[in-house]
Amino acid sequence: MSSAAFALSHNFVAAAGEGFTPPGLGEFIFQPYFSDGTLPWLTKPLVASVFAAVVVMVFFLVGSRQRALVPGRFQFAVESVYTFVRNGIARDVIGHGFEKYVPYLVTAFAFIAVSNLFGVIPGIQFPTLARLGFPLALALFSWAIYLGIGIKRAGFFGYFKSVMFPPGLPVFIYPLLAPIELIQVLLIRPFSLALRLTANMFAGHILLLLFTLGGTYMLFNESVLLKVLAPFALASAVGLTSFEAFIQVLQAYIFTLLSALYIAEAMSEEH
Amino acid sequence: MENNITLAGPLVYALATLGPGIGIGLIFSAYVSGVARQPEANSILRPIAFLGFALVEILALIGLVFAFL
Amino acid sequence: MSFNLIASTAITASGESISSLLPKIEELLVGIVGFAVLLFILKKFAYPQFEATFQERTAAIEGGIEKAEKAQEQASAALAQYQAQLADARGEASTIRSEAQADRARIVEEARSEATAAAEQVTSRAAAQMEADRLAAKAELSAEVGRIALDLASRVVGEALTDDARARATVDRFIADLESSTQEGTR
Repeated sequence: MSSAAFALSHNFVAAAGEGFTPPGLGEFIFQPYFSDGTLPWLTKPLVASVFAAVVVMVFFLVGSRQRALVPGRFQFAVESVYTFVRNGIARDVIGHGFEKYVPYLVTAFAFIAVSNLFGVIPGIQFPTLARLGFPLALALFSWAIYLGIGIKRAGFFGYFKSVMFPPGLPVFIYPLLAPIELIQVLLIRPFSLALRLTANMFAGHILLLLFTLGGTYMLFNESVLLKVLAPFALASAVGLTSFEAFIQVLQAYIFTLLSALYIAEAMSEEH
Repeated sequence: MENNITLAGPLVYALATLGPGIGIGLIFSAYVSGVARQPEANSILRPIAFLGFALVEILALIGLVFAFL
Repeated sequence: MSFNLIASTAITASGESISSLLPKIEELLVGIVGFAVLLFILKKFAYPQFEATFQERTAAIEGGIEKAEKAQEQASAALAQYQAQLADARGEASTIRSEAQADRARIVEEARSEATAAAEQVTSRAAAQMEADRLAAKAELSAEVGRIALDLASRVVGEALTDDARARATVDRFIADLESSTQEGTR
């Protein structure tokens, strides 16, 4: 960061809010629970992430236990989540032979949705997937699954040959296309999957923090003008919270959809 | 150095959203008019539309990451 | 600035760069292991139950449809049976009606012929009676007339006509004349 930009920003911030510190990267870095150095890795995102897994597990286990032919409310809700992913994503995108991948897609969808919704649930209020490690783990699962399908179908070299040299193109394109396709399949796909989740949650969390903290700051500022404007900022925070909830579920849908698309592509004979 | 939000970062991100904003608008306009013409094609078009949306959106998000660099 | 009420609050110290957002190895590990465990448990215990429930539901719905079809079949069979019975009954009724009509015609005919026969019988009997009466009256009358005439004649003649043969011949001649005169008279 150049010093000129910093100076500019410093002046800007100082003029706007008399020392208000906008939320930044620090919001995403957590101290361990134990300050004395034992278990230095035990931080809030880690605990929240495990909690999300437990929530998902309980949700599905309890929902699948009743097995009533005419479902009650809770069973119907659980089954709708399952059928939404099963029919709306897996069956529509993958088509024939989709049953094998339904468990992964449903679990990924539910886990991502719950982890993301932690961002707006009071008491937790941190979307754990904003820490790159968790979405990267999920993306690695998708990556391993679609690579595994492709290699199992066409063999190691056969699969990468079909990826790098798709038939029906003029020969002089291949030197350009082959490395791009290889990097795309091996690196860009998993990282874009992970980065999309992280960046969305990151941006959403920052946005909510900005409006909440800024609104609070304005409310307790001595300036009358800021006091008058503060309710608008806080109302925006409330509105944006529901918008964020929508984005969070949408991102879970997109992750699942893209995973299904990659699986479908690896399954299809022609690249 | 008090914080990381500089004026340069937001400017980078503001510029980076322009293209994806237009792109997402085009994708969903095509999607909406496609569904309006053939409502039964909705289930076919939806994954394609969201695939395009995801591919365009990642550009804006990369812009967001660069805004913090 | 304390946003997180739970412990392990976010640091807001200055100087963090984007590198502090790079994935930490423990997060990656927890993510992979936690998700794998979650996937394993759900795949083993939860999802087969859903699929089984869906299949049962499909079977139940299909069974219901089958049952309904069977009921429909039964109903249409019963309807056909009723209609056949109704047609039978109608045919029977019309047969009975036509038979009754024939019976009626026959009875009327019989009655009429009986009545005619009876009338004829009565008529003929009356005629026979009349004829018999007439003959009896005629015989009686001729005998009476003969006697009266004989009486008269014997009184007139003054002699007893004891000769029966002659007397009868005379009477017969007289009566024959009388008959011919009455026939002429009535003519």
